[in-house]
Amino acid sequence: MRNKYIYLSLLALILSSSFTLLQNSKVTQNFTLETIQTEFEAGSPMALKFSTSRETAPLLYCSSSYGSTLIVPTYKSKFLIYDMPLNISSKIGFVNWKLIYKDSSVSGKFQIHPKKEVSSMETYIGPPSIEAGGTDYTMLVVIPTDSLDNPFPENTLVLAKHQFLNSEKNEEIFTKDLISYKTIYSQKESGRLLVSSEALGINSKEFSVAVFPAIPIDFKISATRPHDYADGNQLTTFSTSILVDQHNNIVSDATYVTFFITNEKGNILKTSGATINGVATSKMIHPDYETEWSVKAYVDGIAESELIILRYKQVIKDFEVVFSENKREITVGPLQSFMKQIIPDGFQVKLLIYKNNTLFNTETKTSFEGLVNFNLKPDIYKNDSYTIVIKTAGLEKTFNSKIL
Amino acid sequence: MINLNKNIIRSILIPSYVLIIVIIISGISSLFAYLNTGADRSSMLHTKLEKIEQYIPEVTWSPLNNEGRPMDEEVLKKIENDYLDAWYVKLVAYKTNTTFGIKDYYTDNARENIFAFIELNVKEKVTVESTTLNHNPTLEFFSEDGQLAVFTDKDVIEYKRVFKDEKLILETTEKSTYKIIVLLEDGFWRIRHFVKERSERFKTEPDLIAAEYLNIKGINYYPQATPWDMFGDAFLINTISNDFKIIKDSGLNSIRVFVQYDDFGKADVDKEKLEKLRLTLDAAEENGLKVVITLFDFYGDYSVLNWTLNRRHAKTIISGLKDHNAIVAWDIKNEPNLDFDSRGKVNVTSWLDNMIDLVKSIDPNHPVTIGWSNVQSASILKDKVDIVSFHYYEDIKTLDLAIENLKKEVGEKPIVLQEFGMSSYAGIWKPFGSSEEDQANYHKKAQDIIAAYNLQFMSWTLYDFEAVPKEVVGSLPWRKNVQKRFGFIDINGTKKSAFKFISQ
Repeated sequence: MRNKYIYLSLLALILSSSFTLLQNSKVTQNFTLETIQTEFEAGSPMALKFSTSRETAPLLYCSSSYGSTLIVPTYKSKFLIYDMPLNISSKIGFVNWKLIYKDSSVSGKFQIHPKKEVSSMETYIGPPSIEAGGTDYTMLVVIPTDSLDNPFPENTLVLAKHQFLNSEKNEEIFTKDLISYKTIYSQKESGRLLVSSEALGINSKEFSVAVFPAIPIDFKISATRPHDYADGNQLTTFSTSILVDQHNNIVSDATYVTFFITNEKGNILKTSGATINGVATSKMIHPDYETEWSVKAYVDGIAESELIILRYKQVIKDFEVVFSENKREITVGPLQSFMKQIIPDGFQVKLLIYKNNTLFNTETKTSFEGLVNFNLKPDIYKNDSYTIVIKTAGLEKTFNSKIL
Repeated sequence: MINLNKNIIRSILIPSYVLIIVIIISGISSLFAYLNTGADRSSMLHTKLEKIEQYIPEVTWSPLNNEGRPMDEEVLKKIENDYLDAWYVKLVAYKTNTTFGIKDYYTDNARENIFAFIELNVKEKVTVESTTLNHNPTLEFFSEDGQLAVFTDKDVIEYKRVFKDEKLILETTEKSTYKIIVLLEDGFWRIRHFVKERSERFKTEPDLIAAEYLNIKGINYYPQATPWDMFGDAFLINTISNDFKIIKDSGLNSIRVFVQYDDFGKADVDKEKLEKLRLTLDAAEENGLKVVITLFDFYGDYSVLNWTLNRRHAKTIISGLKDHNAIVAWDIKNEPNLDFDSRGKVNVTSWLDNMIDLVKSIDPNHPVTIGWSNVQSASILKDKVDIVSFHYYEDIKTLDLAIENLKKEVGEKPIVLQEFGMSSYAGIWKPFGSSEEDQANYHKKAQDIIAAYNLQFMSWTLYDFEAVPKEVVGSLPWRKNVQKRFGFIDINGTKKSAFKFISQ
């Protein structure tokens, strides 16, 4: 009796296992990929076709460069057809797929290549300005793309064309890692570099890169002036020679030049200008006393000029000082210039008042029609003895007076 | 009568007047408070920008050997950040089928491709939950003006779950290689071209460790004063060391401790806590005890987008401690099957599956287990774990049957009865609870069964506790109070009668 049960159960086991075997084989044989093509051109219709014995519609998982999705088939006379949606079929790259049916392991992959024609030349060029001289360079990066915005595969021929002054060049480069690039070096001259590219007969638009002159080399300066008198009125104009770089290109406009003027006392005056066509000019008012100027110009940290020396002659030889009766009104002048002419208005005169040898007050006035009047007010200057010093044009006169 | 009425009216009017004033003043003051928010000087200038890590897969750059302009570390870091953000916004976009953030990380032309996919997936009701675990980028090219870069991201491990009509259709892990062109636009490195160059299914073969040599006789350990807060401010290494001596002297050889995910700082692991854990391991080693570390305690979110954070957490802890002599095994998670209902079984098991791979890749020398809360779940992922662990709080009489069934399912794999025990609580909340004697009998019986089946074990637990946080068993008093009395040693430090049966 017991044996019988064992036999029965064994029999049942065998039957059931063979049945499952059958089932399994059915599942795996159920779907056979009929599409043999594994390489497609982007944008072309793409479909995976499976032959099947039964009318089931399993989903197809598909994953392309940008994302994944599930595709529902259409069933047509024992064939399941999975049409690739546009967003998969139009982008290049690898597509892996898997049929989702129980434990089915029907899976595979195919590849999408770009269309055969270039539609646009995606071009990047930079830096947009470089320095003349042959050491600086700009870089042209070209990504030839098809009409579906797919970059081209490795080793696509791209022509990099560039023109500069008299030279026109046409160089072959090949795409690698989706891009092609070319470094373009500057030449000795400054100017404008025009760049374009071509792939498979399609040309890019024109790009331009400015080739700026390099930094200036040392230069010379000169000074022009109406006369060499220290009249405190006329202007001396400084100008540079034409600033050039080492390849004789005139430096870019607005290169900033600073003129440093050192006088005999060691004081420094500063004036500056920007270049136009390589020349910078700047002006400085004449000193009002006899002195010597040493002038040197700099392009900060880059270049400097030679030193020039300018001498200014004394214009006022002497001057008169007239006191009023109570010594409260002082008139200086008339101040006369080098041709005995009345000095132009605005010449500076300084009055220093000492009391017991200590400076009590300073007053500064400028001339009008050759004269300067000082009025010592009783509110400030009590009746007392003062030493009065008058300074102008580097001259000095001292009076001891008692103010009443 | 009139007077009385007047008084009543007064007594109503005056308080109501006061009340109205109070309401008005509090209203005005809260308005002021509202207008003052954001006026804090430290926040006004946005000088401190806090970056919240939400997506940190492993990124390993190949040594720089690119064409074009030499790359510097700063720019490379910025490219990496923006590239990962680009992945993150894309993953979120495909999960939710919305386009939030895509514009920042993809150029005008490139984003169209993603929008088209979202449109298609919305139409087909497909959503894709995915994450990437590893990236191995190689910089190929950097343009002279620093505005364009090309790199190849090799062997990107992508885990995906594809849903249709909110039903899981496919779970897959793929290893793909991408070629990417990025452009610097508006301060973002945006993706311009994205081409998948290769892709294959990725499957890790479980690299199993023969763990037959193990002979775990252990106990689950929390200090008596700080249960479920072992590495907090009240951490006292001396107390722990003394406890370890008690455990060793009782004849046991190992302990099980818990690393709480939030407590240890999530993805950004708290160094101080890790140091405390290391001190604990040192103390265990001194006392001749081995330690099973249970990771991800109190972690309950298994969402795919958080995987990279979980992995960073595990990586930091495991790589920091894997060479410690006291370590005997890694327990991936305590009782994950309790989250099946709330989080979905697929979510939990695929999380565990991937986490096992990660743990084994970091530490190939120590066995891995999962602390299933019941014997029915114990065979899940049995081919991936080195030790099968389960917890048993049901009737002791059915334990041997449970073990026999489990043995049939898992074959030769070592089995650890990782938690078992009985509460000696009998009181107002559970009048017919068990006594200390019942508890002793329980452990005697349990040890008999353990001996009979040659099992390894870790009992629950050394001490009775004063307080149990509500995160453990909830706040119901009849649960909390029971949970307090599972110890072999009572509140006063005296050994209960069960202590005799703590070990064989």
